[in-house]
Amino acid sequence: MSLLALSDITIRYSRLTAVRDVSFSMAEGEILFITGPNGAGKSSLLRAIAGVTPVAGGRIDLAGQEITSQAPENIARLGFSMVPEGREVFGSLTIEENLLIGTGMHANNRGWRTRAASELEAVYATFPMLKERRNGQAGLLSGGQQQMLVIGRALMTNPKLIAIDEPSLGLAPNITDQVYERLIVLRAQRGLTLLIVEQSSARAMMVGGRMILMRGGQIVLDGDARTLGNGEAIQAAYFGYEDH
Amino acid sequence: MSAVVSETPLAGVVKAAKKPARFSLARRTIITPILLSLLLIAITLITVMTGSRPFNQTVIDVLVRVIFVVGLYIFIGNSGVLSFGHVGFACLGAYATAWLTINPIMKSSALPGLPEWLLQTRLPYWEAAVLAALFAGVAALIFGRVLMRLSGIAASIATFAVLAMINTIYSNWDSVTGGTSSVVGIPIIRTIWPYLIGAVVAIFIAWAHAISRSGLALRAARDEPIAASASGVDIPKERLVAFVVSGAVMGLGGALMAHSIGVVTPDTFYLSLTFTTLSMLVVGGMGSLSGGVIGVVLLSALIQALRWLEAGVPIGESTFAMPKGLQEIALGIIMIVILALRPSGLMGNREVTLPRRNRG
Repeated sequence: MSLLALSDITIRYSRLTAVRDVSFSMAEGEILFITGPNGAGKSSLLRAIAGVTPVAGGRIDLAGQEITSQAPENIARLGFSMVPEGREVFGSLTIEENLLIGTGMHANNRGWRTRAASELEAVYATFPMLKERRNGQAGLLSGGQQQMLVIGRALMTNPKLIAIDEPSLGLAPNITDQVYERLIVLRAQRGLTLLIVEQSSARAMMVGGRMILMRGGQIVLDGDARTLGNGEAIQAAYFGYEDH
Repeated sequence: MSAVVSETPLAGVVKAAKKPARFSLARRTIITPILLSLLLIAITLITVMTGSRPFNQTVIDVLVRVIFVVGLYIFIGNSGVLSFGHVGFACLGAYATAWLTINPIMKSSALPGLPEWLLQTRLPYWEAAVLAALFAGVAALIFGRVLMRLSGIAASIATFAVLAMINTIYSNWDSVTGGTSSVVGIPIIRTIWPYLIGAVVAIFIAWAHAISRSGLALRAARDEPIAASASGVDIPKERLVAFVVSGAVMGLGGALMAHSIGVVTPDTFYLSLTFTTLSMLVVGGMGSLSGGVIGVVLLSALIQALRWLEAGVPIGESTFAMPKGLQEIALGIIMIVILALRPSGLMGNREVTLPRRNRG
C-alpha cells in the first residue's frame, strides 16, 4: 500500500489553474523529488497535500486515509509534516520552544512528555548546534541554522512523511550540502519518507531517488532521478523544447 | 509511533532526559512576572507611605489599568490579532459585581428586573470579583467560538462589534442594568491592597498562559500561521483559549474598577477606556507582558504629570498652568514620538529579566 496517493489533483487560484489532474503515489521509505521551473505548481501541490491550499478536484490519501480538504493541523496529526518554503521559524520563540510546538498535538496521548523529551534529545543529537543555542531566539539564527531548525521541528511531530519546500532556497551551496547530508543521515537512521520540492534537478541527481518533473501544472517526467537527469527529456521539460 | 523513536540510535541513551521541558521554561522565565510584581509592590508601598488620599486613588486607577492591559496582552500580544472589544468584558464584570454586592433593598428598587435569587444575594467584594471574572470568561467563550474563525482585520472589526453589542444591551436593558443611568451603591474599597493583588494575579495568569503549551502554540501561529498549522497547531482553538483567559482577566479588572469608584454606567466601559488601554499596550509593546505593564505605569505617570501642569504649578510668586485640553494633545504627541522611535513599542517583543549569566 502506498503511503501517500494523489489522484487527479487540480488546484485553482480563481481562474488560474496551477495544477491540473496530477496523480502520483509514494511508497513508505521512498525519497521523491518534485522538480520543475518556476510556476510549475510544485509548491501548490505540496501545500494542497498539507491542507493549506484548497484543491479544486481530486483526492489525496495518506496511509490509507483520505485527507482531501482536511484542516492542516489534522493532516499534521495524521503524520504529514510540511516544512513550508522560506523556512518559517517561529521567530519570537526560542529554539527549544520551536521544537516543542511540534509535539503539542500529541499532548493528549499518554506518555507524550517522555516521548517529547526523547524526541528532543534525538533532534539535538542530529543537530548539535540547536542544542547549543536551545534558549536562543530562533529569529536570530542564520539561514542554514533555520533550515536545520525547521527540519528538526518537523521531526518532532513524529511524522510518517516529511515534505520540504525548497530546502536550498537562499542558502549557500555548502550550507545546502550540509542540510542534505543531515537529511540523508536521518533517512538512513529512521527510514523517513521524504518528499522534497526543488527548482533544480541537480540536487535530485546528486542524492538519487525518484524524481517527478512538473511543468505548467502537470507531470511531464517520472522516474529515477539519475537516469532522468542524464536524458534530453529533462532539458525539453525545463526549457520547453519540442521534439521534432 | 514509538517504534520510530526506538529506531533512533540515541533513544536509549536519552532516558535521562525524562524531566518535562516545561519546568525549565517556567524557571527560566518566572523572573519576569516577579520583577513586574515587585515594580507594582514598590509603587504601592510608596503610595501607602505618603498617605495621600488623592494619590492613593490615582495608584488604584493605575493598578486597575494594569489588569486591563495585561488582559488585553493575553489575547492581543500572543495572537497578534488586535481586539477592540475586550473592554466589553470589563463591562460585564463590572455589572456582575454590581448585581452581587449592592444592598438588596437598593437593588430591588434600582434593578427590579433581576431574578429573585440575585436580588437577595449579597457577597463580599472579592467573591463577587472572582464570579465576575468567571462570568466574563464564559461570555468570552460564547463570543469567541464565533469570532475565532475569523482572522486579521475581520476579527478586529468583529471584536469591535462585540463591544458595541454589549454597550447597546447594557444601555437599554433598564430593569437589569439601569440603562444609561448610573448604577450606584457598589461598595467602595478604598484600601489599595486588593487592587495590588488583582494586578499581580493578572500578571501571573498572563505569564502562566504565555508559557503554557497553548500560549506557545499561539505565539508560533502569530509568527508563522502556515508553519504553525502544518506543525499541528489548531489556531482557532488556541486563540479561543487566550480569548477566554483574557476575557476573564478583563472581567476581574472591570469588577475591581467598579469597586474603586462605586458607580458604573455602560459608557464607563466604552470607547474612551478601549483606546486608553490599547494605546498603553501599544506604547509599551504589544508582544510583551512587560511592555503592557510598563506602558501603563509610564503613560499613567505622564497623564498625571500633565494633569498637575494643567491644574497649575506654583513657581515662586506666580503659578504656571498649561491651557486646558493641552493634556490630551501633549499625550498624543508623546505617544507618536515614542512609536516613531520604537514602532513595536518600548519593549518590543522583549521581557524584563535579570542579566543573563550564560545559556543553557
